[in-house]
Amino acid sequence: MQTLEQILPVKFQAGDFKSDLKPIWCPGCGDFGVVTAITRALAAIGRPAHEIAFVSGIGCSSRIPGYTTAYGFNTVHGRSLPIAQGIKLANPELLVLVASGDGDGFSIGGGHVAHVIRRNIDLTYIVMDNQIYGLTKGQLSPTSQRGRKTATSTFGSLEEPVNPLLYVMGYGASFVAQGTPADMAGLARIIEEGIRFPGFAFINVQSPCVTYGEEDQQLKAHKTKMQNLQTLGHDVTDRAAATERAREYGAKLYTGILYRNPNPPSTYGEGVTLRQETLKKSAVPRHEILNRFLPSH
Amino acid sequence: MSEDLIIGIAGSGGDGVISAGESLLTAAALEGYHGIMTKSFGSQIRGGEAMCRLRLSTQPVLNPNGPLDVAVALNWDDFRRFGWELPVDATTMVIYESNTGVAPDNLPLEGVTPTTVFSVPITEMAVKNAGTDKAKNIVVVGLLAGWFGIGRESMLAGIRKKFAKKGATVVEGNVRAFQAGLEYAEAHPLGEDRKLSTPQGNRTAKLLTDGNEMCAAAAIFAGCTFFGGYPITPSTEIMQFLDREIWKYGGTVLQAEDEIAGIGAVVGASFAGKKAMTATSGPGMSLKTEMLGLASIAELPLVCVNVQRGGPSTGMPTKAEQSDLFQAVFSAHGDCLRPVLGPTSVADMFAMTVEAFNLAEYYQTPVILLSDQEISQRKETVEPIDVSKFTIVDRRRPTEAELVKYNRFKLTESGISPISQPGMLGGNYLAAGIEHNEMGRPTASGEMHARMNEKRFRKFAPLKNRRDLFVVEGENDAPIGLVSWGSVAGVAREALRLAEAEGLHAKLLVPKLLYPIAEQVYQDFFASVERGLFIEQSHQGQLCRLVRMFVDLPPLIKPLAKSGSNPIQPTEVLAMIRQMAAALQGSRTQSIGEPFTE
Repeated sequence: MQTLEQILPVKFQAGDFKSDLKPIWCPGCGDFGVVTAITRALAAIGRPAHEIAFVSGIGCSSRIPGYTTAYGFNTVHGRSLPIAQGIKLANPELLVLVASGDGDGFSIGGGHVAHVIRRNIDLTYIVMDNQIYGLTKGQLSPTSQRGRKTATSTFGSLEEPVNPLLYVMGYGASFVAQGTPADMAGLARIIEEGIRFPGFAFINVQSPCVTYGEEDQQLKAHKTKMQNLQTLGHDVTDRAAATERAREYGAKLYTGILYRNPNPPSTYGEGVTLRQETLKKSAVPRHEILNRFLPSH
Repeated sequence: MSEDLIIGIAGSGGDGVISAGESLLTAAALEGYHGIMTKSFGSQIRGGEAMCRLRLSTQPVLNPNGPLDVAVALNWDDFRRFGWELPVDATTMVIYESNTGVAPDNLPLEGVTPTTVFSVPITEMAVKNAGTDKAKNIVVVGLLAGWFGIGRESMLAGIRKKFAKKGATVVEGNVRAFQAGLEYAEAHPLGEDRKLSTPQGNRTAKLLTDGNEMCAAAAIFAGCTFFGGYPITPSTEIMQFLDREIWKYGGTVLQAEDEIAGIGAVVGASFAGKKAMTATSGPGMSLKTEMLGLASIAELPLVCVNVQRGGPSTGMPTKAEQSDLFQAVFSAHGDCLRPVLGPTSVADMFAMTVEAFNLAEYYQTPVILLSDQEISQRKETVEPIDVSKFTIVDRRRPTEAELVKYNRFKLTESGISPISQPGMLGGNYLAAGIEHNEMGRPTASGEMHARMNEKRFRKFAPLKNRRDLFVVEGENDAPIGLVSWGSVAGVAREALRLAEAEGLHAKLLVPKLLYPIAEQVYQDFFASVERGLFIEQSHQGQLCRLVRMFVDLPPLIKPLAKSGSNPIQPTEVLAMIRQMAAALQGSRTQSIGEPFTE
């Protein structure tokens, strides 16, 4: 009988990371492209699936971990980031991916984004942004345009959308990128770059909803609208330039890496490891821990 | 000579009331006394009122007890703010600051006129000897050490150590302030009956700590390596202790952005294979419930400590109450069972915390450890604990063979399935809040949902047979039955002893496993019982109502329930036992016999 190790391939293909579970998504959903891009990126990275933890919240996009062969955790609405942080801190050896949607990531779970960024925990956070609530069948999302009519904005939205790119730039994220399944090779590449980046990486994916999305939000429209940042001569190390581009979210569809901090700060996990190493020698054995309660003046 | 001494000290936040109490308790513990010190505050950050109650005894101490033997008031306004927490009666010896201008025969205490009263120029003695009124608490400690003969030498050593960094002048000033207190006491001797006996027999060193630190230390002993949480009174000391210690054991503390993220990180760490814990109080529990539901359906072990305070909402953050039992039992939506444990003392907190981790790991479930402000913040002498007697349980991980075609949620006979973790080759699965099949794949099948629900309940069946998580004291066939839990159990135990000393026939059940309700344990206990009381610190008497959901209790069982911050006293319980005994003999003088009604 072969041992489990012997079954592992030497070189990985995207197919090694795709599970045989059939997606619940509508035919033509942008998320099909995202799962393909992620599995391609994982093949390029070359870590076996059992060393990967893939965490999500709730929404169409959050079904994605189940369509991969990684250890998946399809959690509750808006809470993928706290759970993913617990996983990464508990076992820093793991490659931890987080998937979310615009509602999951910037509405119900929006409060967690600032904190994962300032902690700089080494996660790759992929938000599938379709400007609509698809799973619950077409309600207003935090990234829906002002004035947009949906099932819960019958007479048009009265609020400004969140700008995910500016949001994460504002909190000081060190790696910020945007992609679309309309440029599959580009999307796979930025996901791979995000995973390789030593620290928190944010990737906004314009992933169209074919059922409730609008005409100009579909992949066909992306193909004419998207502008590759590299082609535009954008300097990914220029924070001010990146912030300016981020402001154009909604008006323009930039793809590629918007910002990559050339001197990334140390990660939270590095701090944890250092502290553990330093303090290890002052540990009393666990079975003697109560001795510290012996009274003394 | 007395075997038991209860001292209450109150003053303003900056008066060093708590530190005075701690000095006395430490000295007493070093001399082999048993003791409990509770503290209570106004909710101000600085200043405001502070008090401590110290009960010292030559025998094990079960609770802080009722009226004070000695009351110390550094000012009367602060003292009076504590109301029922510092009960004074005619026999209480009262010591107060003379500069309050109050006459000894006209104390501002309603309805009581204590006969032994000392108006002491505490501030003046502090300023004269130490050059600062900050030494007021040192004078108080000197007075009490002098009058009750506790720890003179060790306290002097303590003062020298505590102030050493501040230089010889400060040290000597405080030593003089202490001695001034001693001399005052010696010049005003007490009657023999007020003096405290010296402990006899076993005088081995005891441990001295509070429930929160004991919980944190026990977590480390149990192998906890991850804590995620958010500061909240009165649980924060658990996180603070772990933040000082857990790194040494390869662990991590994450102070999260909110209560949800705190327990979220714990769920993640548990998924990654670590023993993990969070701690909070009522308002935090309200927020954490979605994660408790997630951990239940994903069958992930974790320990969630709720140090109860007065509720609802912000309620009474610095006061003890037992009003979160319903919340613990019914937290999160859906059909679900989560074990709830109730530690009864600081000493018991060790065993219950280890038990909480063991149950969590064994049953792959969140376990709620329901502490309360009193246990968590009271300092107590604890007999040395033989930790070698404790077993540490780890989750059932899959064997090599089980990993070949792994089913994370395999429908086993016990209901417990082997649990893998990321990094384990072959163990890859999808954990989810969504209902799933044996492989972990999402399902909308009603049949599978029913089978999984059945599994998630069935796995807990052995828990109801854990008779070691219940304490029964008293006569087995007694017609009077008391039930109490958590910190109040110590009150009930003392009341039972008082009743037995009077020849009354009663018994006591203390459940430490609060949920699931072990029906048979209650049925057995109540078999002989005609009248009884559930003694609980809450308005509703939640355990009484909860047990009635599952067990047909005799009709004349009712709650003795009081809202938080109104301590139930052993004598009060004793009075009820007497009434029940009288009613049983047919010579009832007062009606307490109405059947339980809503």
